[in-house]
Amino acid sequence: MAHADTDRADLRKSTAPGGRMTFWGALLHNGTYQAVASALFKTQRRQFLILASLPLFWIFFANLGPIVEMFWIGFLDSYPPKVGHEPQFTLANWAAFFQDQVFIVPFFRTLAFSFIFTAITLLITYPVAYFLAKHVKRKNQLLFLLLLLIPFWVGEIVRTYAIMILLGNNGAVNLALKSLGLIERPIPFMYTGFSLGVGIIYLTALYMLLPLYSALEKLPDNYLEAAADLGAGAWTRFRRITLPLSKEGIASGCTLVFLISTGYYATPVLLGGPRSTVFAETIAGFFHVAGDQWPMGAAFSSIMLIATLGVTGLFLKLMGRDGKGMMR
Amino acid sequence: MTRNTRILMSVIYWAFIVYLFVPLALMVTMGFKDSKFIGFPIRSWTLDWYTAVIQDTEVLSVFGYSMTIAISTTILSLIIGTWIAVFLGPNKFRGKAIIFALACLPAVIPGIISAIALRIFARLIDIEPGMFAIILGHTVHNVPFVALVVMARLSTQPKSHIEAARDLGADSIVAFFRVTLPYLKPALIGAGIFCMLLSFDDFVRAFFLGGYQPTLPVLIFAKLRSGMSPEINAISTIVLIMTAILGLWAERSMRRLNKGS
Repeated sequence: MAHADTDRADLRKSTAPGGRMTFWGALLHNGTYQAVASALFKTQRRQFLILASLPLFWIFFANLGPIVEMFWIGFLDSYPPKVGHEPQFTLANWAAFFQDQVFIVPFFRTLAFSFIFTAITLLITYPVAYFLAKHVKRKNQLLFLLLLLIPFWVGEIVRTYAIMILLGNNGAVNLALKSLGLIERPIPFMYTGFSLGVGIIYLTALYMLLPLYSALEKLPDNYLEAAADLGAGAWTRFRRITLPLSKEGIASGCTLVFLISTGYYATPVLLGGPRSTVFAETIAGFFHVAGDQWPMGAAFSSIMLIATLGVTGLFLKLMGRDGKGMMR
Repeated sequence: MTRNTRILMSVIYWAFIVYLFVPLALMVTMGFKDSKFIGFPIRSWTLDWYTAVIQDTEVLSVFGYSMTIAISTTILSLIIGTWIAVFLGPNKFRGKAIIFALACLPAVIPGIISAIALRIFARLIDIEPGMFAIILGHTVHNVPFVALVVMARLSTQPKSHIEAARDLGADSIVAFFRVTLPYLKPALIGAGIFCMLLSFDDFVRAFFLGGYQPTLPVLIFAKLRSGMSPEINAISTIVLIMTAILGLWAERSMRRLNKGS
């Protein structure tokens, strides 16, 4: 509101303290500007089209373009184009996926891992979000929330490295267990599905926590009090009131965590091992080696995109939502 | 809510905080270890790794490179994201829901797929792997976040603001720059810092879209693959402190945004 007060003076006559016209006043009086502006804003329709130009260009060029291009390359037999060879249309890249275990196993492993990690993240963060929204005093909530936020501003690589130090053979966990006399030799946590899970949950928990928190924060306390007065036990209150009313948050949180966790590349490389290879590593392989494997990489990326968006679409449908406001 | 569940939940909250902070604390601690060998126990301490990092010209130039990319990305993302928000926020037209969904698309596509798609796309529009390709990739990824934050702020602006400006003789352009833009300022600061963090921390896009010159996360990744060393801890700690400061600043300006409306 404060900003508007300073603008109450007539802009056409507005003058700077020195008695000279302000930049904006001068601009509105400038003949060239007036001509251009009146041509641009002649009709409502024209004004709308100008306003729409950059957004529509960006959305179709930068958001949709790469995805469409990726699908298209997946149908070619060679890309980038070679001299003297016209790329031919082929389905071989897509067929290759179904013919080799080397591809199918990491693919389903990725989906299974992401599913499991998402479920564990939900179980861990739900009580945290509930505690924050319902038990922490209003004025302290910001502080408690900030405490959770700070680690999540740190990048993927740095946090992955932190997990490596935690779980390594000479890491903190093994040292603690050894000094307690619980183990003789270090437990090999690293390069397994376990270390990968600890890392991925560490990276994604916030995307679950924030939607849950904002859903639970909106839940009115008196609903729970009324239910308690009517004789509902703690479990009934949770199952009949808290859970249904936080469904929105659960749906957004799970969607985000699932999609993001399938897309990590560096974390599985650093924390995972040969028996926990994920599909991101398979795809990346096609773009590392010299040679002409882009089309297959493109086809595989397309398969993964369809699968992940398909799974989340199905999930949102089951949760009774159409996916609107997913980003909130 | 019984007393016991309340206690249980506070235990879970604090355990979760420990889970979040302990790995980072260990990483910071290890940067002061007086040995090349990462692991416990730590017998003697040193600041040598930090002095080495500050004098390492490679690290410094990579840092500058990452900063250049982050700042360029932020400026582009703010312009495009705000424009999209101003277009999609107040206007109603057929197919708006689809356009809105497409505008948000890059934010939900798994990172590796987005990186691969952009790598192929950069080849199509003839951009060499390197700084411009990374800036394009980061901008594509960041624009949805800016658009959403700005749209949220825009929806709280009273219509009378613009009407008053128009009555006083401003046309749409002047009204936007003198009335709407100042109103959006807190949202733009918050979204801008968030963009910088996203760009500076990003690995997967920088890795696939980059040329020979690495960004900071790519450099750390390369060093990690050739072995853990306290030097990496020192670099990471410096990055950690910077991101925490930037993040707190962004949080503060976003907080003011919510109070102001």
